[in-house]
Amino acid sequence: MILYTPMPLELVTEGFEEMKQPVTRLVFWEGIPLIIEDTGSGRGRVVRLLSTEPEDYLRTDLFPGAVVRY
Amino acid sequence: MPGESGKRLLNQEEFPPDPDLEPGFAPEYDPGQPPEEPGEEPKRPELPHPGGPPAPKRVQGQRKESMQALKELGTNTLPEIKSNIHCLTIVGQIEGHLVLPPQNKTTKYEHLLPQLVALEQSPEIEGVLVVLNTVGGDVEAGLAIAEMIAGLSKPTVSIVLGGGHSIGVPVAVSARYSFITHTASMTIHPIRLNGLIIGVPQTWEYLEKMQDRVVRFIVEHSRISEAAFREMMFRSGELARDIGTVLIGREAVECGLIDEVGSVGQAVSKLKAMIEEQKQNAGAPA
Repeated sequence: MILYTPMPLELVTEGFEEMKQPVTRLVFWEGIPLIIEDTGSGRGRVVRLLSTEPEDYLRTDLFPGAVVRY
Repeated sequence: MPGESGKRLLNQEEFPPDPDLEPGFAPEYDPGQPPEEPGEEPKRPELPHPGGPPAPKRVQGQRKESMQALKELGTNTLPEIKSNIHCLTIVGQIEGHLVLPPQNKTTKYEHLLPQLVALEQSPEIEGVLVVLNTVGGDVEAGLAIAEMIAGLSKPTVSIVLGGGHSIGVPVAVSARYSFITHTASMTIHPIRLNGLIIGVPQTWEYLEKMQDRVVRFIVEHSRISEAAFREMMFRSGELARDIGTVLIGREAVECGLIDEVGSVGQAVSKLKAMIEEQKQNAGAPA
């Protein structure tokens, strides 16, 4: 990966070492495959969509960071 | 079973027996009806109870959930269903194959790329407005987004607001028509050494190749010449910590990188004019 940015690299990558990988898992939400990060009590934060249906990527309730109940 | 039949008896006492449900609720099975009974049995819990309103609640819950997700998150904006323009915002760092630490605001290519596919094929969307305020980011991800925008068959207009630096430059020029606000800046500088570096001539050649990819894309999608762009890229004395050039507003237009100085009003009206033009061109041969 080559970063092409005027921002100092130290600033961009600060805390890179301490970053924790969140525990993610695959769920099917209304038939749409999603990778979510568990936030407890039956909810999860969307990390990534795995759908092959392009229209799913325009859904405002499934953007990365959206909270879904599964 | 004995409990259920008790309830049924209670229902029959409290409410007048429903003629439709009557055969199913009968505590004693009619010997003439056995084939119907197994089919009706599992359905019964879902039938609305005469006394309580629990059935519509489930539907309401799901709608609320999606509304809440919309309210809580500022990842990207979607137009109202009526709008024929989609606004694609590219902010912060364009994230590459590694997830950047959380202090960075990032644009995620893995979501943007399929979104562009959806924009291309969706019949309701007739034009795309790319709004940029980015400090650059990953070369591959930036070029991927730029290539997708350049490849759209629908009219595209980009607008550089605060800044469109480094890899933001190819993204800005990838649209068919580009705008920059008076105060927005674009930094043009060489690709720096980062990532996996081995001190051999091949590393230099590799970086040179990476740079050529970016320069070639910019030259192909704007009015600037390669010589002029490279001259700006390696100019010394303009940046304190680096070699390169900062272009502000009009300067970016004068050198041919961006088409026009303007803000959101001009950008939207230009996009609308382009949509009209495309419609007329499409209608002409038919």
